[in-house]
Amino acid sequence: MVDMTAHQGGGGSELFSRGFGLAFPFLVAIAVSALMLLLIGENPFDIFTLMANEGFGSQRRISATLSAATPLLFTGVATAVCFRSGVFNVGVEGAFVLGGLAAAFIGFTAPAEWGAMIILPAFLFAMIVGAFWLYVPGVLLARLDVDEVVSTLMLNFVAFGISGYLVNGPLLSESSGNNVTPLVHEAAQLGRLLPPSTLHAGFFLGLFCLAAYAFWTRRTADGFEAELVGLNQRFSRAVGISIPSVIIMVMLLSGIVSGLGGASHALGQLHRFSEGFSPGYGFTGMAVALLGRNNAFGILFGAVLFGALASAGTTVQLFSDIPLDLVNIIEGTVMIFAVVELGRITLFRRRRAT
Amino acid sequence: MQRSAIAATTRTETPDKPKVRLGAVDIHKYYGSVQANSGISLRVAPGEIHAVVGENGAGKSTLMRILQGLEQPDSGAIIVDDVEVRLNHPQQALALGIGMVHQEFMLAPDLSLLENFVLGIEPANGPLGRIDWTTARGAGDALAGQTGISIDWSRRAGTAPVHVQQFVEIIRLLHRGARVLILDEPTDVLAPPQVEDLFNLLRGLRDNGTTILFISHKLREVMALADLVTVIRRGRVTFNSAVADTDAEIIAEHIIGEREEPALAVIDDRAPIDGTAETVLAVKDLSTPSVEKSHSLDNIGFEINSGEIVGMAGVTGNGQAELVECLVGLRRIEKGSLVHRGQDITLASNAARRARGLAFVSPDRSHEGLATTASVEANVVAGSHRSPPIARGPFLNRSAMRRVAAERLDRLGVTYANLSDPAKSLSGGNQQRLVFAREIAGDPSLLVVSQPTRGVDLNGIAAIHRILRTFRDNGGSVFLVSEELDELLDLADRILVIAGGRIVGQRDANDADMAELGRLMVLQDSADG
Repeated sequence: MVDMTAHQGGGGSELFSRGFGLAFPFLVAIAVSALMLLLIGENPFDIFTLMANEGFGSQRRISATLSAATPLLFTGVATAVCFRSGVFNVGVEGAFVLGGLAAAFIGFTAPAEWGAMIILPAFLFAMIVGAFWLYVPGVLLARLDVDEVVSTLMLNFVAFGISGYLVNGPLLSESSGNNVTPLVHEAAQLGRLLPPSTLHAGFFLGLFCLAAYAFWTRRTADGFEAELVGLNQRFSRAVGISIPSVIIMVMLLSGIVSGLGGASHALGQLHRFSEGFSPGYGFTGMAVALLGRNNAFGILFGAVLFGALASAGTTVQLFSDIPLDLVNIIEGTVMIFAVVELGRITLFRRRRAT
Repeated sequence: MQRSAIAATTRTETPDKPKVRLGAVDIHKYYGSVQANSGISLRVAPGEIHAVVGENGAGKSTLMRILQGLEQPDSGAIIVDDVEVRLNHPQQALALGIGMVHQEFMLAPDLSLLENFVLGIEPANGPLGRIDWTTARGAGDALAGQTGISIDWSRRAGTAPVHVQQFVEIIRLLHRGARVLILDEPTDVLAPPQVEDLFNLLRGLRDNGTTILFISHKLREVMALADLVTVIRRGRVTFNSAVADTDAEIIAEHIIGEREEPALAVIDDRAPIDGTAETVLAVKDLSTPSVEKSHSLDNIGFEINSGEIVGMAGVTGNGQAELVECLVGLRRIEKGSLVHRGQDITLASNAARRARGLAFVSPDRSHEGLATTASVEANVVAGSHRSPPIARGPFLNRSAMRRVAAERLDRLGVTYANLSDPAKSLSGGNQQRLVFAREIAGDPSLLVVSQPTRGVDLNGIAAIHRILRTFRDNGGSVFLVSEELDELLDLADRILVIAGGRIVGQRDANDADMAELGRLMVLQDSADG
C-alpha cells in the first residue's frame, strides 16, 4: 500500500516535470517577448491575445496554422529519429528539398492519364531519394566514423546546388517565370481539406508519420535498440546490438520521412518545385524535435506552435503596430531555450568521443 | 611563491623547516555505505619523495582527492606546514602550495604548450592587458632549464607526446607556486625510458626542496624512487617505513595482507567436479598488440571446463581488461584462437558469441554493464529483445517484456521500486544483481565476469558470490577476473595469475597461498625471469 502511493506520487511529479520541461522554452520566450513589448510601449497582453486569435481564432486561422505546421511534422519526426539514437543528423533540410524535387518531377513528367495513381510513384521516388541522400552520411559514420554533423550539414548545400541547377536548367518551366518547375498534373495534387486555406491531405500523412514514429519507439525491437544506442553505446555494444546497423537504419528512416515531407509539400502546398522550396523547414524541424524532447506528443506540440507563430506572424503586423520582428524574437527565444537540450546532446557526443 | 613562504613563516614556530609539510590525521570517508578511508594518518616531511601504495580500491585515490580539496573528509584533519587547514576546493590547496598531476592531464588540447603553461595567470602589461609572451616564455624556459629539459613551446598540447604533456603539467604547477606535488600513477602512461626521465626530474625537484607524494601500485618503481613508503589496504594504513629499511617482499605482503576471515560466514559448498567435465572454452596462444593505452597480450593459453570457476588474479592494468574483451568479442584478436564447445569463435562477433551461450559481466558497471539512464526494465531485457516472448516478429510485446523483466529481477532478488525507474536509482549491489539477472537469464554455458563486487557492499558481495556458486554448481563455467584475492580464493577452483600481459602462474585454489599469489602478481620481474 505504501509502495503504491509512493509510486503514484513519483509518477505524477515525473509527468509534471516532463510537461514543464516541454513548456519551459515557450514560457521563457513569452516572458522575453513581453519585456520587449513593454520596452516599446505596447501592452503585451493585448498583443498576445491578438496573436492567439491570429493563430487559433477561427477555423480559417486554425487551418492556416495547421498548414504551416504540416512540413514541420515531417522534419520534426525525421530529426527525432536520429537525435533519439545519438546521431546528430542535421541533413533533414537537404533530404526534404530533394524529396520535394523528386515528387514534383514525377508529378509533371508521368503520363496524365495515370490520374491520381501518379501520387504513389511520386511519393515512392521521393522516399528513395531522401533515403539515399542520408544513407551516404549514415554509412560514412557507421563504417568510417566520419562526423555526421559535418557531412550532413555540407550535403545540405550540395542538395541546394543540385536542385538549384535543375530548376534553373533542365526542369525549368517554359510557361512560367524563373526558377520553378512546371505544375504537377492536377490529378497528382493532394486534396485541399478546408479551402480556401492551403491545408492539404499531407497533414494527415504527417500525423500518420508521427503515429508511426510513436509506435516505432515503443513497440519495435529496432526502436528499442535505437534508444539504447542513444543512451549508451558501450552498453549497447556489450549486449550484442550492432551500432553500425542502428546508425544506418535511423539515417534511412530519417531520409524516408524527410522525402515524404518534401513530396507532401510539393504535391500538396506548392504543386511544383521552386527555388527556395523550403524556408528552412529542416532546421525548424530540429527545434521542434528538441523542444518536443523526441517525444511524439512533444513534436506535435512543437510543430503546431511554430506553425502558429509562422501563420500569425504574417498577419499580426497588418492589425497592429507590432513589427514582424516580434515573432522572430519569440521563435528565436524558443529555439535558444530548446537548444539547452541540444547542448546536453553535444556534451554527450564529446564524452562519447573521448 | 614568495607570498606563501611568508605566510608559512607567520604561521609556524619553526619557519625554516616545518616538520610536516603535508599531513592527514585520522581521516574517515564514507561513500554511502562503503568506507573508503577508515582512520588514515599520513605525514609527509618537506623535501621527501613519499610513495603511497595499495591495491586498486584500497582508498589511495580518495585520500589524494581529500588532500587536494576535491572532497571533504567525514572526520579527521589535514595538516599543511604543521597547521591544520580546511580544503574546500583545489584552488585553496594550490594556494597553500599543493598541486596534483592527475592521470588524465588537465591541459587544453587546442592551446599551445606555452598558452597552457600560463593559462589563468598570464603575465599582462599595458592598459589593454596584452599578454606578455616574452615574459611567459622566459618563465617557462627558466623552470624547464632548472630541470635540464628544453621544450617546443609552440606545439599544440593535444599533439605533444604524453611525457611532454606530463612535464608541462608538472612545471605548470610549480609555476603556480606548488611546493608539494601529488602524482597519481604517473608512470601508467609512459614508456620505460620516459619513466627513467620522469624519475630523474622528480629526484631533481626533491633536491631543490619540492615535496613529492607519489601514488603507485608498481613496487619496482617505489623501490627505485621513493624515500618513504606508506601502504594502504582497505582504507587503513597497514605499513609505513623508510624504503631503505624494507624490501619489496615485505611491502608486497602488506599490500596483499593476511587472509582475513570472510566477513560473512560462507560455507564452502564447492561441489566435487565429476569426471565428465567438458572443455567449454579453450584459449590458444592468444596475442594482441598494444593499441593506444591498452595493454598487449602475449601468448595467453588456458582452458575452462564445465562446472568450474577459473579465477584470474593480477594487478589492474596488466592485460586483464583486454583479455576479457577478447573473450567476449569486443576486441579483435590478432593471433591465436578461441574454441567454444568445439567451435572456433575467434572471429565471431559479440552478438554471435552471446547467441552461442556466452555471457559477460563488465568491470565497468556504470558505463558498460548498464545503461544507467535507461529503465530497469530495458536494462534487464536488453539483448533478449529480439527473441520471443518479448519479440513478436519485429514488434515488441510490452506486457511480455514487463513480465520477463519482473521474473528475472525477482529470481535474483533485485530490489526496485518501478520497472520504469532509471537503473542508476538502484544501489550498487542491486545494480550488479540486475546485471547478473540479465546475463544468466539465457542459461549461458560460460559466464565471463570481471570485478563483480567492485563498489558493492558486504551483503551485495555475499549475494553475488552465491549467484556465482549456484551457477557453477549447476554445471556452468565461469571466468572470474578480480582484484580481490580473498574473493578468488573463496570462489575459484583454479587461479591464473597475469602480469605484463602474460600468464605467469597457475595454482589450484585448494593449495594456493595468498602470499605466493601476491608475490607473483607484483614481482613480475622475478616471477619468470
